[in-house]
Amino acid sequence: MFIIKLKWQSIIAAIAITMACLFMPMEVHAHGVNINYTSNVEIEIIATYDSGIPMAGAQVAVYAPDDPTTPWLTGSCDEEGRFSFAPDTARPGIWDVQVRLAGHGGIIHIPVGGDTTTADGQVGFSHLQIGIMSACVIWGSTGTALYFSKRRKT
Amino acid sequence: MHIPDGILPLSVTGSGYAATTLTTWYSIRKIRQKEDPRQDIPKASLLTAAFFIASWIHIPVPPTSVHLVLNGLLGALLGYYAFPAILIGLFFQAIMFGHGGLTTLGVNAMIMGLPALIAHHIFRLRKWRNSDGQKKTGAFGFLSGVVATGISVAMFVIILLTNLPAEINIVSERTAVYALAIAHIPVIFIEGTITALVTVFIRKVRPGILDGV
Repeated sequence: MFIIKLKWQSIIAAIAITMACLFMPMEVHAHGVNINYTSNVEIEIIATYDSGIPMAGAQVAVYAPDDPTTPWLTGSCDEEGRFSFAPDTARPGIWDVQVRLAGHGGIIHIPVGGDTTTADGQVGFSHLQIGIMSACVIWGSTGTALYFSKRRKT
Repeated sequence: MHIPDGILPLSVTGSGYAATTLTTWYSIRKIRQKEDPRQDIPKASLLTAAFFIASWIHIPVPPTSVHLVLNGLLGALLGYYAFPAILIGLFFQAIMFGHGGLTTLGVNAMIMGLPALIAHHIFRLRKWRNSDGQKKTGAFGFLSGVVATGISVAMFVIILLTNLPAEINIVSERTAVYALAIAHIPVIFIEGTITALVTVFIRKVRPGILDGV
């Protein structure tokens, strides 16, 4: 049988530590698990000119659905024309993002939250659509020119 | 040089439409005073198509790229037909290419159309002292192109700088506008050269086209 002789100061210190551990408030539960999370949707826009050149340093203004006049967030695009932001998901609806650089730019409307789902999107037409539309306008102009030329001759 | 939607306040876009309406009315009035107002419609129609396509001809001026305007050429060759031609071209550019916008159509028409009318009057000066030589045609053609594009750039810069919204970085935007204006300096001379070459070519091949202007 071993008898451990402790000094009385050590015994008091051990009792104090034990009491502190018992009464310390803790968030740990014996079996249940409590996990909290925050959902943030990050939207990234890429702004380029028609020629494909990025709108480096373009100024960006983000407008919330319930306040289309005061910018909810302002910032600027990076060298590649990229700008990211996390909209407030508690304010569902159409978020407007305006990009401008030296008087050039545009606005894109992005659906966020609610019944809408955020997906990839872009403004403008494809090169094929633009080609077809241009051909139609040129043909219309040429047709007009030919029509009036013929009228003049007759 | 097309100002898109959402850049200018409503008062400016409204004023642009008012000025464009007035200028269009005056141009049509001048056209109707001609002996045969329909005579130049084929020429105006083809040059409208050229103006429409010009905004897709990009000229790389690092770090950006600029495009041709051709308003000096239209002014020199069409006279008062130039303004309605540019207005129609801008309308198609806005709805098809997204160049400019429908709310800013009036402002853009003034930026590009008014200098075209000035170019027309400059080009008419070639007939001064009843001589219309090839050198004079080329020189005044060049001057028409340079002046028209130069005035367009100046108008674009002034309109933008006097209507900067408070919520943007003013210094950054102003710097970008100046940089864009500087990038247009080569374009001004390219436009002048194109106008000179085309007018001289037409004078050689079909001088009758230049009779009415």
